[in-house]
Amino acid sequence: MPPAERKSLPARFEPGDRVRVKELPNLYYSRTQMYVRGVIGTVAVCTYTDLKPEDEAWSRDDAPYEQYYIIRFRQKDLWAEYPFDKDTLQTELPDSWLEPVTA
Amino acid sequence: MPSRSDLKRLYDVGAQLAPMTHQQQDWPYEISPDAYKAYLQPPHDVGGQASGPSVFEEKEEELWELNTYVTCEVLGWKGVWNSEERRRIGNNDLGASLYYGFPYYGRWIWAAARMLVDKKHISLMELLEKIAEVKARHAAG
Amino acid sequence: MAHDHDHEHDHDGGHPAAPMVAEVTDFEILEIAVRELAIEKGLFTVDEHRKFTEWAESIGPASGSRLVAKAWTDPAFKARVLADATKASLEVGIDWSQPTGFGTPSDYTEFRVLEDTPTLHHVIVCTLCSCYPRPMLGHSPYWYRSPNYRRRIVRWPRQVLAEFGLILPPEIEIRVEDSNQKCRFMVLPLRPAGTEGWTEQQLAEIVTRDCMIGVALPRADRKADDVRPVHAALRPVPHEEAGR
Repeated sequence: MPPAERKSLPARFEPGDRVRVKELPNLYYSRTQMYVRGVIGTVAVCTYTDLKPEDEAWSRDDAPYEQYYIIRFRQKDLWAEYPFDKDTLQTELPDSWLEPVTA
Repeated sequence: MPSRSDLKRLYDVGAQLAPMTHQQQDWPYEISPDAYKAYLQPPHDVGGQASGPSVFEEKEEELWELNTYVTCEVLGWKGVWNSEERRRIGNNDLGASLYYGFPYYGRWIWAAARMLVDKKHISLMELLEKIAEVKARHAAG
Repeated sequence: MAHDHDHEHDHDGGHPAAPMVAEVTDFEILEIAVRELAIEKGLFTVDEHRKFTEWAESIGPASGSRLVAKAWTDPAFKARVLADATKASLEVGIDWSQPTGFGTPSDYTEFRVLEDTPTLHHVIVCTLCSCYPRPMLGHSPYWYRSPNYRRRIVRWPRQVLAEFGLILPPEIEIRVEDSNQKCRFMVLPLRPAGTEGWTEQQLAEIVTRDCMIGVALPRADRKADDVRPVHAALRPVPHEEAGR
């Protein structure tokens, strides 16, 4: 139940942007699947702002909100052996877990 | 109180929970970087792991499962915990053995009990006494 | 060590053998203990628990079926669904802010509907737990929560769909939606041939739960999901609603 007004970090990405999922180590908790880490995808949708999971999981309610995005990946980029060219996968990630891909 | 033979049976079951690697795992002096990563990967992050074909059967819900779902949700409704805390405790903090060894809602209620103790809403002794009391009440019919 | 639990549900190797089950299981005891302590400590009331239980027993996939049927017959409604599915849900009687005023703690209010096209097929999963659009589709089937489905559908979607009896040609893009945060998804499948002139109610009858997860396609000649084995409960919820 988010309060009406929350400080939110500015969104760094918009639909169509190419982004890479950060490759951070695992420790204690994550909502960023291993299979997307280090992989480049495209922002499909800007969804909502909220705490990042790493903050919410320890109830750090005063932490800033940030933008979440639905990211679209090509299955061939996720799994080296994937045989079907067109297939895709989407999942949702917060701003902190993404870095820009230039060119 | 478990009898001595009951206790031996419990020990035998417990011994079988060791992960199925083919190495002794009683506190190794060091482990490989891959083993370190594997141990720290949250047990719920299973997407992409290999598994064989499955029978995707339906399951009828037990009353205690519905009650568990509702209890956990109402604790969320009342702000006692948030969903990410629930996911952390019930999917990660319990470790791989319980993650795979417990029923789905068994993890949920384990997490709720753990949270109530961690957040000091109840003491562990209160919880233990209550479990024993409920058990005795049901044994008495 | 010999297995000493040859329970009746021990079958086919796909699942571990069901354990010996005591008269009242340890989980039932733990659930009662937690609920009673929470009430004694004033964390919630019996009435609040009952109110949520009533809500939990009122939900089911029929709401989603109505949404799909209405979207098939009313293009303006479909546009509203794709623009803001949470809001459009009100038009089929589903208020995502219920039963608490801010939604359920686990389902949030960020509902999105994924529209299939002749060249695109969606299927939903939550690889990290079991996120599912409960207010619109009811409780998820157990197989949806199973590690097996979660492991494989993201990497071998065509194999898993084939095990559900759904084989799609490679020209059709399969898009797996791994619901891992606060958005909740359902699939808006294509309206099948042979349903021309049907009413919304007739159409809703062929939109089964599996069609809205994306592991089946609606067919004019099928009003129920394919029959699968059912694991019966020992002490089921009394008067559980039909169609689950």
